Amino acid sequence: MLYLLTLLRYPTVEKRAKIFNGVSYVPVPEDGPFLKALLFHLRLSGDDKDFVERRDSCSHTSKSPIYGLSVGGEELWPVIAFLRNDMIYASVPLVEQALSPRPSVVSVSGVSQGLELLFGIQDFLYSSSQKSDTDLNTKLSQLPDLLLQACPLGTLLDTNLQNSLSSTNFSSVTQPHKQPAWKVGAYKGKPQISISITEKVKCMQYGKQDAADTWQVVGTVACKCDLEGIMPSVTISLNLPTNGSPLQDIIVHPCVTSLDSAILTASSLDTMDDSAFSGPYKFPFSPPLESFSLCHYTSPVPVPPILGSYHMKEEEVQLKITVNLKLHESVKNNFEICEAHIPFYNRGPITHLEYKVSFGQLEVYREKSLLVWIIGQKFPKSMEISLSGTLTFGAKGHNKQPFDHICIGNTAHVKHLVQCLAHRYLLNMHVRTYVRRYVYLMITKYLNVNVQQITKTLKFDSHEDPPYNKDLGVPIEKRKLILGNELDHINKRK
Amino acid sequence: MGPLSREAWTQRLGAFRASPSAFLAGAEGEDLGHDLLSDLRSEKLSEQTKVSLLTLSLEYSDKLWPDAPAAEAAATSLLDTLILLPSKPSALRRLLLLAATTVLVSGGALGPTSGASCRLLPLLLGLASGRDMGRSFGSASEQRHLQATACECLGELERCKPGLLACSLATLRSLLGQTGPIQPVSLLLALVLHNTLVVPSRAAAGAGLQGLLVARVSSVGNCSWDWTGVEGQDAHLQPQAPSWPTAEEKHGFPLLEPSPEEARELKAAVAQLLDTSYLLTPVAQAQLLWLLGWALRGLRGQPPVLFKPQLVRLLGTAQLTLLHSVLALKAAFGEALFTAQDEALLLRRLTLVAQHPALPSPTHLFYLQCLLRFPENCPLGPEGEEAAPLLLGPQLCQGLMPSLLHDPMVLLARLHLLCLVCADTEEEEKDQVQSPQGYLQELMAGLQQRAALDGGPQALATLCFQASYLIARCLPGQPIVRTSLIHGLAQLYRARPSLAPHFVDLLDQVSPELREPLRAVLQQEVVARPGKNESLCWHLQMLAKVAEEDARGATLSFLQAAAVHCTDWGLQQALLRVCRALLRTGVGDGLADLLQVLARQLEDADGRDHARLYYILFSHLSSPKLGVALGPSPAAPALASSLVAENQGFASTLMVQETPAPIRLHVGPQKAKGPLLSLPLQVEAVEEPVYCLELRFRVEGQLYDPLEAVHIPCLCPGRPASLLYLPLRPRRPAPARLHVQALYTTPAGLTCHAHLPPLSVNFADLFLPFPQLPKGSEVCFFDDLWNSCLPKGVESRMWCPLGPQGLETLVSQHLEPFVVVAQPPTTYLIAIRLPPDSMLLLRLQAAQVDGVPVALRTDNWAVLPLVGDYLRGLAAC
Repeated sequence: MLYLLTLLRYPTVEKRAKIFNGVSYVPVPEDGPFLKALLFHLRLSGDDKDFVERRDSCSHTSKSPIYGLSVGGEELWPVIAFLRNDMIYASVPLVEQALSPRPSVVSVSGVSQGLELLFGIQDFLYSSSQKSDTDLNTKLSQLPDLLLQACPLGTLLDTNLQNSLSSTNFSSVTQPHKQPAWKVGAYKGKPQISISITEKVKCMQYGKQDAADTWQVVGTVACKCDLEGIMPSVTISLNLPTNGSPLQDIIVHPCVTSLDSAILTASSLDTMDDSAFSGPYKFPFSPPLESFSLCHYTSPVPVPPILGSYHMKEEEVQLKITVNLKLHESVKNNFEICEAHIPFYNRGPITHLEYKVSFGQLEVYREKSLLVWIIGQKFPKSMEISLSGTLTFGAKGHNKQPFDHICIGNTAHVKHLVQCLAHRYLLNMHVRTYVRRYVYLMITKYLNVNVQQITKTLKFDSHEDPPYNKDLGVPIEKRKLILGNELDHINKRK
Repeated sequence: MGPLSREAWTQRLGAFRASPSAFLAGAEGEDLGHDLLSDLRSEKLSEQTKVSLLTLSLEYSDKLWPDAPAAEAAATSLLDTLILLPSKPSALRRLLLLAATTVLVSGGALGPTSGASCRLLPLLLGLASGRDMGRSFGSASEQRHLQATACECLGELERCKPGLLACSLATLRSLLGQTGPIQPVSLLLALVLHNTLVVPSRAAAGAGLQGLLVARVSSVGNCSWDWTGVEGQDAHLQPQAPSWPTAEEKHGFPLLEPSPEEARELKAAVAQLLDTSYLLTPVAQAQLLWLLGWALRGLRGQPPVLFKPQLVRLLGTAQLTLLHSVLALKAAFGEALFTAQDEALLLRRLTLVAQHPALPSPTHLFYLQCLLRFPENCPLGPEGEEAAPLLLGPQLCQGLMPSLLHDPMVLLARLHLLCLVCADTEEEEKDQVQSPQGYLQELMAGLQQRAALDGGPQALATLCFQASYLIARCLPGQPIVRTSLIHGLAQLYRARPSLAPHFVDLLDQVSPELREPLRAVLQQEVVARPGKNESLCWHLQMLAKVAEEDARGATLSFLQAAAVHCTDWGLQQALLRVCRALLRTGVGDGLADLLQVLARQLEDADGRDHARLYYILFSHLSSPKLGVALGPSPAAPALASSLVAENQGFASTLMVQETPAPIRLHVGPQKAKGPLLSLPLQVEAVEEPVYCLELRFRVEGQLYDPLEAVHIPCLCPGRPASLLYLPLRPRRPAPARLHVQALYTTPAGLTCHAHLPPLSVNFADLFLPFPQLPKGSEVCFFDDLWNSCLPKGVESRMWCPLGPQGLETLVSQHLEPFVVVAQPPTTYLIAIRLPPDSMLLLRLQAAQVDGVPVALRTDNWAVLPLVGDYLRGLAAC
């Protein structure tokens, strides 16, 4: 496990905390004790077997990633901490009042700032450009300097650390007035906009009469706008295909300047009817330099793209599994990668495996207790494939094998809890597909700074072809069909 | 010492960071700050090393230069280093500015008398306003870069000394319209504006808000910062973003009423800031909104509509800080900014982002907290209490229902919301399948089933009990939920008794409404399974918690059956702990038999002894005393003997303990004399009632026969002191000191003893009168006595001084009972018996101006000096 060892301290903030918190002030401890307390609270240290009241008492109902750490007999609060990609991210925000009685988390402005900073660090460390551990180490070594840039004197100025990195390099560039703080420098060159839409289908298939299968599409529209000028104005509008299901739960990037109220209110919680807003979904914005997610949405789809069934039976020391997959005929049978991941949680390493696949090959990651079924670019003509196998597992080791608090159990439970089994194995059937939606792009116009010009161009927008239409970076048709939720992990490891 | 090499510094900084306190306490600690400052100017060190030195001084300035003089010196040195930098571009300038600011603030040196402060402030202000500061600050482009840093430093100074920059408002405002980086200037302006409105300093009050906002730029040089209002008032530090529910009561924002002109200027300034806020990074926008929102909150006649255009833009994002600042505006202005429709829309957006699949789980959790603490326009319950917002209908909640597939934290957060919804829903809807209560029960059943899985991780069991606790806390008044919870927990125990520690913990935490029925059910669960089984140790642990008087017979027979199987020491101890619990609750019959059986049968000698001890205690102590004696649970038994541990538990209660004096005791006024000598004592309780008080006296120096103890059944504080007579049997007529010890029982039943301050028996306390004589024979009697004293006794003449009172008063006050013959005002014949067998005879002659001559005889020459002292002391009385 890799811990984030970078701890930055801000003595001036500490001084203010001392005055604001008064008698309830608890100083931030030194790195060692802090880390120790944090690991204990996150259940990452010590033995998990026995009941430890300090940690396991039922009254410790932590409902947010904000903890009170007991350090040297006192409680340090609030400590924001969470675990992602084997890293612990933690920050201690300033509370500008006495801590007793304890104010609510929501009323402390530093809490959202702290969380956002940690997300920023996470994005920086694990951004898409990262390839290897060396990259990660380089980034870790840059981190203190960047934080000094992004969060001097404890006041958070920007969570985009990549921007801070650029701003140190751009130090000699003269920044014009009205340059947005989230845009360091300016683009020079051929104007072009690339847009890619990624949709993942989250699906739960029970294969039973009394439990309805559920699935949902979660989509992301990512943009990279290479446009000259300080504040180019762009509008992207998404139109649904005929009979396309409407977009819901739309959240947008902060650079979007205004939104139709119908977009704001479209929600998957409402009962669907014909009156639901069906577009066009217009997003006017002024883009930052880097690639960004313009919006996320969800959408109901008529059928899951892949139908699957998964059976598991434990016989003494052996585990017998069968997996059947069937591609829906409406989905184009052509993929870049298509794999099914079959993880085995809460068990030891795989010691023995016998299997038969009707199609594709199977890779075994013994230490990770994982099977990866590589289907390839296409399903066979029958559109149906199957895998059956028998596995045995070794003794549970320390932290090497995946842990999951839902997928637990052994023989006895299989017999005992059929309901639970259904959850358990079908949970692994999250089917994620990366398919392209039908999207019509309309770029209204790319402009220079001036407000007047915007109004002018909006007028002739409907008459003219978008000027940069031919340069549009059309997204590559990238299809990935992944079963299981461990892909990111594996790719990185490879 | 010359400058250290790069490697030496790396090593040194590494050692320091590993444990700053240990390093500073060590040999090298003292010099670190000094070396660091001097090596910053060394030409041998690379810029990279100097950056790491400065970074360290930024982070640990409070450790390196903890007091004001050290901080002042360090800041001066840093500023000197800054001036001395060669004019080529350098990353050090920014860091030096930051470090100087940090050092001054954290060391508490910032102030008008500090030379470094007076150098730093004009420098920062000059850089911030974009003036050319000369070549020592690098090229023009680098200075522009430093402009942002200067704003950040000024911001930190203003945060630590609110009102410091009030006079620079106009300068900053004009900067916003000019060239320069927009974000640092906006944030600084908003901060200063906020502080000016929230903490109107004296100077600011003098100049007036409008004056501050529109002052001519030319006047900047005269009044750029203002120490008057901020000096030495750390306590007046103002939160920029006060926590909202308590903000009003605690900080009591002064309601300012600006004049129309002022209001216009203010509005223009705020509008200017808001209009360009789009150019700020999201986190900076959020800070700006918090600052401006809370600044305008206390102003009359400043409608918050200015914020409206921003809200429309912000509601679409899921950016944490932005939505959080919207919520802060909601809390600050309520209905004035958010109509009911707006409120509904905001709730809808929050519900959406609290479960949006594209967002990470910490974000979900934060938004769930926002929902639980949503600042409603018209809250029903008391403010600041967690409650499901009124407008959050069942439709919206549907998406936030907890499910077994969620990770524990999300599950608990959603469960909390569900509980709050249940608390608002009437129970009568229970027959509907989709009622929240029904859903809750189903969920709990699932959680309990999962926790029941043998060998499942501890975290799952913990989660189940956390959920149970949450439900018990949020829904105490819903019997159906409670019944099903208890039923489920009983089933869980049946399936997995090894969860006993969790059950014990739950019983300790929940309120009596759940505890009592759950306890009874669990007791039944345990006693229904007698005999040998592998869970016996858990059953016994459970029983020690839940055993009470009900189902006594079943409990005892369970224990009898269990005793046979308690073969090892651990089990025997568990069994004895149950006995102990029963002893405490006062379960009588049957227990004695069981203890006797145990005292004979148990294999381990320690266990047998222990059982015998309990038996003895049980048969010798009354049940209240037993309850007290076995009160707190004993410490974990040492391996050698559990008796030792037990002893620590109740030895104190059975042994007499020394305490401070519980009563006050003093010698009372002398009264009528009986034939025997006794000392009148007054006793009163000090704080709490004292029972069975026994007072033991010891005479210093064996002057008297040993004194008998005095017994008082009960003394209560507040009652008048009771009088008691302590019989004295002197061996010699001499004053003495009595040592007093009190032995008593407290209301809690503990026996205690205390040493009281010693009592003095004076010479006069030993006086007894001669028996009453027949009339007429007094003179004769006295003369006989007088003559009988010699020759073995002594005669003496003394001078008894008289105070302002005459002889008559003196006699009546002190010697009245002993007067045999009185012929006032000339002669008094006084005869005093001195036990055991002495006497003292006094003849008081005609009194003169300041005294009276006394002729005395006694048959005991040893009392003469005492008499002398006594007579001389009489006048002083």
